[in-house]
Amino acid sequence: MRMFATIAKLLVKRVLTAIPILLIVSALLFCILRILPVDPAAMSLPPNATVQEVEAMRTEMGLNLPLYQQYGIWLNKLFHGDIGRSIHFRQDVTSLIGSTLPATIELAVIAMGVATVFGLAGGLFLFYVRGTRAEAVMDFLSILLLSLPEFLWSLFLLLIFGVFFEVLPFTGRLSPGFERPVVTGFLLLDSLITGNISTFLNALEHMILPCLALGIALSPSLMRVLRSSLLDAYQDDYIQQARLRGLSEKRILIRHGLKNAILPTLSLMGVQFGFLFGGTLLVEIIYSYPGMGNLMVDAIRNADLPIIQGAGLTYCIAVLVISIVVDSLYLILNPKLRVR
Amino acid sequence: MLQYAKGRPLPLWLKSGRVQTGLVIIFILAVCAIFAPYLAPNDPNEQNLLSILTPPIWADGGDAMFPLGTDSLGRCVLSRLIFGARVALTVAFSASIGAMIIGAFFAHVAGYFGGWVDWLIGRVVEIWLSFPPVILSLILMVGLGTGLRNVVLAIVLVDWTRFCRVLRSEVIVLRRRDYVSAAQLVGFSHWRTITREILPGTLPLLITLMSLEMGVAVIVEAILSFVGMSVGSETAAWGQMIADARQNIYDAPFNLIAPIFAIFFAVFGFNILGDGLRRTLDTRLTQTERT
Repeated sequence: MRMFATIAKLLVKRVLTAIPILLIVSALLFCILRILPVDPAAMSLPPNATVQEVEAMRTEMGLNLPLYQQYGIWLNKLFHGDIGRSIHFRQDVTSLIGSTLPATIELAVIAMGVATVFGLAGGLFLFYVRGTRAEAVMDFLSILLLSLPEFLWSLFLLLIFGVFFEVLPFTGRLSPGFERPVVTGFLLLDSLITGNISTFLNALEHMILPCLALGIALSPSLMRVLRSSLLDAYQDDYIQQARLRGLSEKRILIRHGLKNAILPTLSLMGVQFGFLFGGTLLVEIIYSYPGMGNLMVDAIRNADLPIIQGAGLTYCIAVLVISIVVDSLYLILNPKLRVR
Repeated sequence: MLQYAKGRPLPLWLKSGRVQTGLVIIFILAVCAIFAPYLAPNDPNEQNLLSILTPPIWADGGDAMFPLGTDSLGRCVLSRLIFGARVALTVAFSASIGAMIIGAFFAHVAGYFGGWVDWLIGRVVEIWLSFPPVILSLILMVGLGTGLRNVVLAIVLVDWTRFCRVLRSEVIVLRRRDYVSAAQLVGFSHWRTITREILPGTLPLLITLMSLEMGVAVIVEAILSFVGMSVGSETAAWGQMIADARQNIYDAPFNLIAPIFAIFFAVFGFNILGDGLRRTLDTRLTQTERT
């Protein structure tokens, strides 16, 4: 029970600090995009509109008011769930984000899983070969891997498995001919709910390359942190104690070493997963994956301010949510922090 | 400089194989960037619409005029690669210096004065970190408009927090040292204490971070130019080459490999230099960890 209380306390505290952060971020977003040399009024009218029409539109959109008033109006609408209408797509921004966000979340969550598996396995391996000649090689290799961001991995995997060997699809989410079931908006989940196993497998196939690219790119830093925290943990007396008690090396590693070394790795993962969420943007573009990243870039190319503001804010909320979740996990796993 | 005159051993950091590898890679790139007009076989912007997407010279149908083939507008890939090094290195150096100056300034102020100053700077960094870097730099580019100067500015505005976070904790450790208190007792001004007593202690970390930041800047520039939000289309940049090659991936897969390799080569150079510097300059590492 005590644990729930401390976690609830942390959640309340984190959510309360997240609110001012979001307010400031939204104000920054609003200001950065308002100094743009584009005139949203002129853009939402046909090119042959007269100066008077543009002027009337400016007044209607509230563009002649002082900046802080404009921000106030925008914020008020935001609280009522209205982020505005896209100028380019002629659709509500909320519905545009609502239809693309699930795809990005699916991509990010699976990629995080991939990164965790590779990161833990690699870290354990790096630790296992400590002090041997293989360590120097692995260490060098991990720097090599660190120099390949998700952007390059995506292209690289696409070339190898998509173009040269043609074993995996690399555009979109489904092959032509597949019907898209819509229940929750999460394609993988929806195809399972409706019992469409072939659709599910096809969607999964499309996600292999993007998820691998994101996951592999993130794993070297996790590996390195896990290794150094394991090295730190093995300096402590309890490892020697466990050896004296005659426990097997495997048991020492899992029950004693890893249990203590996982914490610093986890706190790094919080930061990294936030970055990963941003990294989905490029992967989405490279694999023509219909998520928020593609929406954002389309909006940027068309100077579609309402979408840029809405999507920017959504990315920001995602990062905050991820960091709150990781912090709560940290608390669950670290008994030292629980008892005050 | 006299210390290292003839007959003297090389300073420790220059003896590291990693540092040497990194420096050689950066030197090669710098030569490409500086002497681009002499090294490139063709004008990087000249379009040869009669020979578009020609394969590299060793493949069937390769043309000796275009050693690495041509892109979808018939522009020489090798020449664009060489000229692309200019954008990459300009951004790498200027953005990392800019981010370093701003980040180091706030880190030293926050760590040295502590209290509400530290609190305020800490909160600003927190707000910055609630944005994924790629998204923030894209939004900044929308606000600033494209162009080399704005790319540098956007990267500086996004990445100063990297320096600030790491250096701040280093400054906090250093300011508790006796010699810092001694300097304050002798009546050094705050500015003088920071620059003369604390900065020399944070310098190794600062240099290491800068080297790593150069790698990050190369990637960010490539990302921005891939999305078309970096330098204008009249300047050759690696990210643009990737974007072009992605459209013709079946016809000319090699066009994609060349810029990917160039980016990887540059980032690897900066990373291995940074890793080597960290090992040799960090005074807390033991002798065995360095080798």
